[in-house]
Amino acid sequence: MSAPVLEIRNIHTFIGQFHILEGVNVSVPQGSITVMLGRNGAGKTTTLKSVMGLTPPSQGAILFEGKPIHGKRPYHIAQLGIGYVPEHRAIFKTLTVRENLELAERQAHDLEKRIDFIFNLFPAMRQFYHYPAGNLSGGQQQMLAIARVLVPENRLLLIDEPSEGLAPVIIEELMAAIQKLAETSTVLLVEQNFRMASRLADRYVILDDGQSRVEGVMPELIKDEQLIQRYLGVA
Amino acid sequence: MTTRLIENLRENWLYWLIILFLLAFPFLVAAQTGSSPFGEPRGDRMVMRGESVRWQAVMIEIFILAILAMSYNLMFGFTGVLSFGHALFFGLSGYIIGLMLEYTGLDNGIALILGIGLAIAINGILGLLIGLVSLRLKGVYFAIFTLAVAEMAFIFFGRFALTRAEDGFTLTHVPIWLDATQNRITLYYVALGMGIFTFFAIRRLINSPTGAVFKAIRENEDRAQSIGYNTLTFKLIAITIASMLAASAGVLQVLLNKKVGPELLGIGNTVDPLLMTIIGGIGSFTGPVIGATGLHLLDTNIREATITIGSTVLHVSDFWGLLLGAIFILAVMVFPQGVVGTWIRLRMRWQKFTKSA
Repeated sequence: MSAPVLEIRNIHTFIGQFHILEGVNVSVPQGSITVMLGRNGAGKTTTLKSVMGLTPPSQGAILFEGKPIHGKRPYHIAQLGIGYVPEHRAIFKTLTVRENLELAERQAHDLEKRIDFIFNLFPAMRQFYHYPAGNLSGGQQQMLAIARVLVPENRLLLIDEPSEGLAPVIIEELMAAIQKLAETSTVLLVEQNFRMASRLADRYVILDDGQSRVEGVMPELIKDEQLIQRYLGVA
Repeated sequence: MTTRLIENLRENWLYWLIILFLLAFPFLVAAQTGSSPFGEPRGDRMVMRGESVRWQAVMIEIFILAILAMSYNLMFGFTGVLSFGHALFFGLSGYIIGLMLEYTGLDNGIALILGIGLAIAINGILGLLIGLVSLRLKGVYFAIFTLAVAEMAFIFFGRFALTRAEDGFTLTHVPIWLDATQNRITLYYVALGMGIFTFFAIRRLINSPTGAVFKAIRENEDRAQSIGYNTLTFKLIAITIASMLAASAGVLQVLLNKKVGPELLGIGNTVDPLLMTIIGGIGSFTGPVIGATGLHLLDTNIREATITIGSTVLHVSDFWGLLLGAIFILAVMVFPQGVVGTWIRLRMRWQKFTKSA
């Protein structure tokens, strides 16, 4: 396995007075889909936000392609080539689908180059290209949020709970799309839906109480029912 | 070329119609009322008497308020930056042009041009500096900061001996061609031109990629940051342009009233554009203009009215503030999107209704 694209080393993050992350270590190898698992409140979302600089860690280090990025501002971190899909379908609802995608351009003609790929992946984006994004269905909004990080050249994608609150059919469609993305970039995924996570990811990290507990390859986790039971409460 | 012109006319016909109407307005009123659009000559001077010139003053005030409200809307409505200190730019530019005209001893025309340039430039820089210092503060904290700066200026000029403290000073060196008491109609067209420029400049800006970032910041600043935008830069662009536009409104105000005083910096000149923007429709192009026009026409027409109940005569001017407050509460509670937003919603509902029928 090649050198990690993203390395999170023992980070501690506070939100206000609350000590949310108390030592998280994650390593995301090149070309992999790594999934972060854990109960509600384990610190998965905060870990992604810490990588993006939205909730900067007060201790520890975050390395992207070997260079430290902790302490940098969110827009700077994004410009380095990290695409972030926040939870709750974080699109700009009053802007059109097209404007949402255009906003994601980092260089001129980014969108032009990628638009066919995006339309192929999510045909609904073509259909509603000129409509306000707030008019899209929940699943389509999630697709738009993912499509947005595909516009510029991102070498790492952070995707927070893409399946949340979506119908099973839509989840299947999203899974296929994420699988396709992983062919060209590395993905760090947060996912509560264990079935989805186990089918998608090659690697896993389990977070509990703000700490990373176990890390490994997916096939091993699937076999280890005791571990699943202990941290995830699903069988 | 011609096809583009026709396209433009078809898309914007209502705007063109309104502009034509406003261009003809002084003459229309004059023809209707049998007054002169230039006032009445008395000796070698003009006296601003008659319906046409009276209405020109009302309209100039509307243009000024509309420019102020549009500049406020650029910050608050489109970029989501709430400021309580907009009067600062408005009032300070009044002082700058006043000082240039009355205290420098320069030729009137030169002082005027220099004053306008300086007023706009200084306020742009001031807006930028205020933004740099305080825009890292979010929401209400930024608003309080701007309020504090504006109130500081208000108190300072209220005690500044050179500009005659609370009394302020009158302008006696306005070039005659722009003098509101001699050639009001020129000021009318200058103010109209500035209003039209402001409207289309803001529309152009908001429909550009930069405008899309403004709207993205309004919706969610963190999200805009995490797709790679230094949102501070864009908020600075918005506040700088808005403060320059507010400065131009301040210049027009001083030229109309020929009076500079600390009341220009008062909180009223922040609250009025805020109310006008919200009542007219926040985050829309026409909302602030409609709000400014509606409220100012109401103000000038209803203020003088009296209501007789039995033997008691009530003067509307006595409770005008109360009335305005009631309108505002009603607007916020019943039409939170303002006149324009409500209109768009009703029209969409009507279209759905006619489609399904």
